[in-house]
Amino acid sequence: MNARLTRTSWIARITFLEAIRQRFFAFLLVLSAVMVVSSVSLRFMDFGHSELKFVADFAFGGMFLFGSVLALVMTAQLFFAEIENRTALTLLAKPLSRTEFLLGKFLGTWAVLGVFVFSLAFLQGVILWSRTQELIVLAAETGRVAPDFSVSGLASFAVLQWLRLGVVAAMVLMVSAVARTFLFTVIVGAMAIVAGQLQWLAQEALLKPSDASVVTKSLLWISSRVIPQPPAV
Amino acid sequence: MSTSSAISVQGLTKDFRVGLRGIKLRAVDNLSLEIPRGQVFGLLGPNGCGKSTTLKIVLGLIPATSGSISILGSPSATSEARQRTGFLPEAPYFHKFLTGRELVQYCARLSGVPAEKVGEAVEGSLELAAMTEAANRPIGTYSKGMLQRIGLAQAIVHDPELVILDEPTAGVDPVGSAAIGRMINAMRAKGKTIVLCSHLLGQVEQVCDRVAIMDRGRLVLEGRVDEVLAQRDRHVITVADLTPQARQAAEAALAAHGATVTSITHPRRSLEDLFRELVTGSRDA
Ligand SMILES: Nc1ncnc2c1ncn2[C@@H]1O[C@H](COP(=O)(O)OP(=O)(O)OP(=O)(O)O)[C@@H](O)[C@H]1O
Ligand SMILES: [Mg+2]
Repeated sequence: MNARLTRTSWIARITFLEAIRQRFFAFLLVLSAVMVVSSVSLRFMDFGHSELKFVADFAFGGMFLFGSVLALVMTAQLFFAEIENRTALTLLAKPLSRTEFLLGKFLGTWAVLGVFVFSLAFLQGVILWSRTQELIVLAAETGRVAPDFSVSGLASFAVLQWLRLGVVAAMVLMVSAVARTFLFTVIVGAMAIVAGQLQWLAQEALLKPSDASVVTKSLLWISSRVIPQPPAV
Repeated sequence: MSTSSAISVQGLTKDFRVGLRGIKLRAVDNLSLEIPRGQVFGLLGPNGCGKSTTLKIVLGLIPATSGSISILGSPSATSEARQRTGFLPEAPYFHKFLTGRELVQYCARLSGVPAEKVGEAVEGSLELAAMTEAANRPIGTYSKGMLQRIGLAQAIVHDPELVILDEPTAGVDPVGSAAIGRMINAMRAKGKTIVLCSHLLGQVEQVCDRVAIMDRGRLVLEGRVDEVLAQRDRHVITVADLTPQARQAAEAALAAHGATVTSITHPRRSLEDLFRELVTGSRDA
């Protein structure tokens, strides 16, 4: 058992190192960071709660979008790079089971997604916090209600986001394990993400207290508090 | 299936399906082979005759279409059997961003070398593969021969009893491949079994105890190198200062006993020997 753990963690470690050095990762991270930062400049004229909410919605939306793209493309890319470059051939000749290999790949990818989500969430936190301070001063001047900013709300949102991207990565990895090509995996994975996203929205919209299990209900309750609703169109 | 064999292959057949219509391509055709323990075994044959495919099936990397194998006494390449086996794939490719030392460490940990012994094992195998100097460079900067040697280091880092080398000397200069030859001899001296594929017949002849030759997926010859190669009805006598008179006298003396001289030539050094004499070593080594 211990040996299994060692092997899995080494696969994860190398996967993490490989992914973190990819240009694709840096590119999406920078792109998302730009989006988070620029969300401040897109605020409404109307000051107050809606501004912060809009800023948060915009940034979180971008984070999930780019995070999903990252989870999808990076996971598939890391997997097929091992196959195509034949590094997998060296690895699978080691006393390493395919499960350990896949699990290690997953954990490594998930760790990278963690870096992505939490560094963006941190940036987001800094921006929201500093904007909140400004708004509190403004509110005091104009006599409006001061907005508040919850660190724990942001943190739990980030954790939830990370879990969701983990689900995406796990799914892509499962598709990769049976699919033959990178392109096929990415297409199937993208369809699955879109389908999952639609279902998620549908569940939120149609949620009735009676027909959901306690776990689903509480999850959905949390998500409906933490995850910003898409702006009504 | 004798237990003294390191690898035993029975009636192995492998079909690949190629193209959209799934046309069958028979890469290995009813191959049976016994590779004894403690010897150096050479698997030879032209390009595409199925050598690498056979090795991959033995290691459990691809499934066989039919037939059975046994490796180190177990009927398939179990995790336990692989722990006692080292493998250098052909044209190996490793994670470019790792340094040579990091790669060997990684492989050592995957192969079950305990944490406290990794340092020693890694340095030992780097040294054996003559890669100590370049060990801190990223693999992406390695030359082809260095890649091959770092591949060798990762294959032997856990001190396996069976070492499978698919073209270990491909792209390695003659000095480097002589070093690999010495490494193989050293491993044999320690009682290891070594299986290697190579197109360098001269080297195979020097280093192998047994050879098998494959052609189009079939085994065409298998046996001890000296037995396979000896022409038992021909003899070589090497003579210094052979004058025409001496030659005539010798031929007459041999003819008196019913022997015929079929050819008289100068012995030649191999190009390999000459090269090794003139060149001191590769810059990478
Ligand atoms: N994955 C694959 N799909 C389809 N055909 C394959 C595959 N791998 C190998 N083959 C075919 O199987 C045959 C044997 O290939 P193999 O790699 O075993 O040859 P080899 O003896 O190692 O040759 P070489 O000396 O060039 O390394 C070849 O005809 C090759 O085209
Ligand atoms: Mg080959």
